[in-house]
Amino acid sequence: MPEGCQSSYAQVQFSIFFRQVSMLNFLTFAFMELVINEERELNQAVTELLSFAGGRKVMLFSGEIGAGKTTFIQAICRHFGVQEQVTSPTFALINEYTYMPPEGQEAYIYHMDLYRLKNIDEALNIGLEDYLYTGDYCFIEWPALIEDLLPEDVVRINITIEADSSRKLVFL
Amino acid sequence: MSNINILAIESSCDDTSAAVIQNGKVLSNCVANQEIHTLYGGVVPEVASRAHQENIVPIVDVALQQAGIKKEEINAVAFTRGPGLVGSLIVGISFAKAYALSLGIPLIEVNHLQAHVLAHFAREPYPVFPFLCLTVSGGHTQIIIVKDHLEMELIGSTLDDAAGEAFDKTGKLLGLDYPAGPLIDHYAQKGEPRFEFPEPKIQGLNFSFSGLKTAILYFLRDNLKQDPDFIKNNLNDICASVQQRIVSILLSKLKRASRETGIKEIAIAGGVSANSALRQGIKSLEKKMQWNTYIPEFEFCTDNAAMIGVTGYYKYLKGEFTDQSVTPLARWNV
Repeated sequence: MPEGCQSSYAQVQFSIFFRQVSMLNFLTFAFMELVINEERELNQAVTELLSFAGGRKVMLFSGEIGAGKTTFIQAICRHFGVQEQVTSPTFALINEYTYMPPEGQEAYIYHMDLYRLKNIDEALNIGLEDYLYTGDYCFIEWPALIEDLLPEDVVRINITIEADSSRKLVFL
Repeated sequence: MSNINILAIESSCDDTSAAVIQNGKVLSNCVANQEIHTLYGGVVPEVASRAHQENIVPIVDVALQQAGIKKEEINAVAFTRGPGLVGSLIVGISFAKAYALSLGIPLIEVNHLQAHVLAHFAREPYPVFPFLCLTVSGGHTQIIIVKDHLEMELIGSTLDDAAGEAFDKTGKLLGLDYPAGPLIDHYAQKGEPRFEFPEPKIQGLNFSFSGLKTAILYFLRDNLKQDPDFIKNNLNDICASVQQRIVSILLSKLKRASRETGIKEIAIAGGVSANSALRQGIKSLEKKMQWNTYIPEFEFCTDNAAMIGVTGYYKYLKGEFTDQSVTPLARWNV
């Protein structure tokens, strides 16, 4: 985590809602909502997201162009200590990064972007399914095409741009 | 002295391409397209691995035919090892390995980003070492000091989106089809750059285009509130303004790199080098900055195998061969 993160954390006022609604006795439905006014607040959002995710590693990022999907993923990768430049994979389709988890064995993060794919066959053709079941982190932008390929335990992150240009993050 | 013939394979992203290079000169440079599949009775698939598998045999055959070279005359096989999509790279690598093994000839691994730079040696005039190369494409935006054919130093790159992506995403915001780069260029030539978009303040020689994308988004949102037909009524001027800003971001870093290194041999590579404003901008700086500028022909700017073969040729001369254990690299710096 970058220096100065602790201090900015203390300064930030968040509007955080955490709701846990017991819909049925055996089914728990949880979501979390955050509003981000400045980019530096993303560090706190990363912490919230990872705790919300529990052990879930496949994360889907939705939101219009310019909403901040790549920017949020950059913050998550920074949190993990990724040294490589985290850039938009729109053209490359899949970027790979490495980081060193506390347990000590080098691990991979796959950063994918399906923006320019036209159908699920194209996703299958690039071997996307193989990445989803590696047990590594998969951060996927523009995921709508591959709903049918996804494992059950994914985290969904929806980013919307509010009228005042702040960003509303909803974790599902 | 006998000829050195190199067969080159490129399959790092969407297109499958093959080329034959003789003594560093391009004899053929073929990209798989519908015409080739008509010849072989197939339909050209669109993206990545499976497409590469279906393309690679016919495209190599066509490249050899066009070059007038028999496979027995090939001295080495060069292939893109990375960076790129592993599933795509592996098709080219496996083919190259099998081809080299069956003919008993050496294998040469090539870095795709180095190859973009060495595309300048596909045809004369060649830049003089050391030169600066700005590589701009859908996936890359880099400034590289090129000290020798195979000696390069990356001194600036994008922190988020590539320049080509900035064009394409802006196009999406304007309702244009993907890829929108050529369309924006087309409309921009009929417009005036009368809208101001901010220049990002990024230290050093790195680039950022993500903030510009957001600025354009806000600009359109605010103006569409006043006038629902704002885009339709101002498309040419919006395109001209966006294009001018993207180009000015690229050129200001390139000027800075030239000042800091004292290098005045300036080369442009990558698909975005087709952009008319970038070409004009570079040319207009020739006098002002006393630059000699170089832009390869377009067929060598987009992803192509000729540049892989040219790079392979210089590696061949140095005896830089690789063995059958080679695997793809998703990430690999110049």
